[in-house]
Amino acid sequence: MIPFIQTTLDGLMVGSSYGLLALGFALIFGVMRRLNLSYGPSIMVGAYLGTLLYIQFGAPTYVVAIVAVAGSVMAGVYVERLCFAPLGVGAGVASMVSSFAIWMQLEQASLLMLPRHSYPFPSLTSSELLSLGPLVVRPDYLIMLAAMLAITAALHVLLYRTRFGLGLRAIVENSVAASLSGIDVQSTMLKAFALASAIGGVAGFLVLSANQQVTAMLGMWATLKGLIAMMIGGLGSIPGAIVGGLVLGVIEVHSQTLFGPQVRDLAAYGVLFVLLVLRPGGIFGTTAISESVGHRGGDRWTTT
Amino acid sequence: MEAMLEIAGVVTAYGKIEALKGVSLSANRGRITCLLGPNGAGKTTLMMTTAGVLKPRQGSIKLEGNELVGLSPARIVGNGVALVPENRLVFPQMSVRENLLAGAYQRNDSGEVAADVEQMYARFPRLKERREQLAGTLSGGEQQMLAVARALMSRPRLLLMDEPSLGLAPIVVKEIFGIIAELNREGVTIFLVEQNAHLALQVAHHFYLMEQGRVTFSGNPGELAEDEVIKRAYLGTRRSAG
Repeated sequence: MIPFIQTTLDGLMVGSSYGLLALGFALIFGVMRRLNLSYGPSIMVGAYLGTLLYIQFGAPTYVVAIVAVAGSVMAGVYVERLCFAPLGVGAGVASMVSSFAIWMQLEQASLLMLPRHSYPFPSLTSSELLSLGPLVVRPDYLIMLAAMLAITAALHVLLYRTRFGLGLRAIVENSVAASLSGIDVQSTMLKAFALASAIGGVAGFLVLSANQQVTAMLGMWATLKGLIAMMIGGLGSIPGAIVGGLVLGVIEVHSQTLFGPQVRDLAAYGVLFVLLVLRPGGIFGTTAISESVGHRGGDRWTTT
Repeated sequence: MEAMLEIAGVVTAYGKIEALKGVSLSANRGRITCLLGPNGAGKTTLMMTTAGVLKPRQGSIKLEGNELVGLSPARIVGNGVALVPENRLVFPQMSVRENLLAGAYQRNDSGEVAADVEQMYARFPRLKERREQLAGTLSGGEQQMLAVARALMSRPRLLLMDEPSLGLAPIVVKEIFGIIAELNREGVTIFLVEQNAHLALQVAHHFYLMEQGRVTFSGNPGELAEDEVIKRAYLGTRRSAG
């Protein structure tokens, strides 16, 4: 029983980083109803900038963290201005395809900065394990879990207790009605994009410092994990992102323990497949995707 | 009579199709101006163009002499124009109170905003009863009242209303028109698009007829027999002549 609980606990810890990645994804998708495939590569740009400072100048960990988050935000804003802002709300596919093109651009820019496959990344804590009775946890994973909880709580307050959050939720429901209420849709979307990229940057930094290395696969990895976790939880759902991330983490770690590391990703995709067949909207997607996504409020008046 | 809103030569197109083919009209301060016309005449397009959601290809839209064309919808709200859109478009997953607060998004006087919310509850008691309810659970009439109240929360000098009677029971429509007349008595300039010509002519000081993207008639109620107005508004002059 103890090993099972230990594995589940490890899964939750790993899953909290997926949850953070999915949170940024869900924020963008929830507000814009558009997929930003460049989300992971944006995180990669920030992480690579931080790594560059670390290996070239021996920058302290906190500087690396700040640069990683700021770089991710900068890259995210660049993507928004280039792929999302110029295209109308209805142009979901065009935004997605252009964000895929920018993915390549951001990844290549990162690889020009640091061409090797992997580089060391500063760790946040000592690697000594903390014991909780019969269980053990890694301190850096504990920080990841705490960061996820804190950021989720902060996001909740932002969405439900502030004017910015009210505007954001109004845009999610109906962007035309939001603009008619005096909400500046363009600037609110840009801020949401920057915020999502910042959350992604935090997630990226925490994962890399836990791994103590950064690889060229980071962009792909972050987009995939965030996207899968979001799809498990429910497209564009904030609680769904967290739950989806945790579920993904637990599934991955359990399948790795049971069947070995080769099966880890296979199991995750398998579960995603079964879930999407049974519940196309994800765990928190109460309605089918077509209803929550295909139906933009903004298009409603033009059809009459 | 001083014109508050002056629309001149506005052309708005969806792709290659021109929905507005050079519309010119004006709405006078303190008055109710009504725009009538058959389906597809371009009335909603004109409202959406005035509110800044659609960008015109040509023409100018001036509020008290200030050009509105080119401004974002949010800036136009900031200039004192609020649109109650067709089909109401309330925020269904937000409470009645949050919908009202969204209408006051640009205002920084939180004390005054709170007082205005109370004022809306006094004007629309049904909204007060349902203030914590999600707007999507309201009846059509209640949603229309919420949409009007939300627009008023920005304290507009000019209120645009697009088919406020659409899909509502006659008794509710009467209530809505009572509110329109009341708002006007309190000094709000109103520019109204309406299918219900009979009711519109009862409250309007001035009206326009629109057909296939053009204004075809301008007059005061009483200048033209009501049945003639209705005939033209619903059937269009071309078809009735042919």
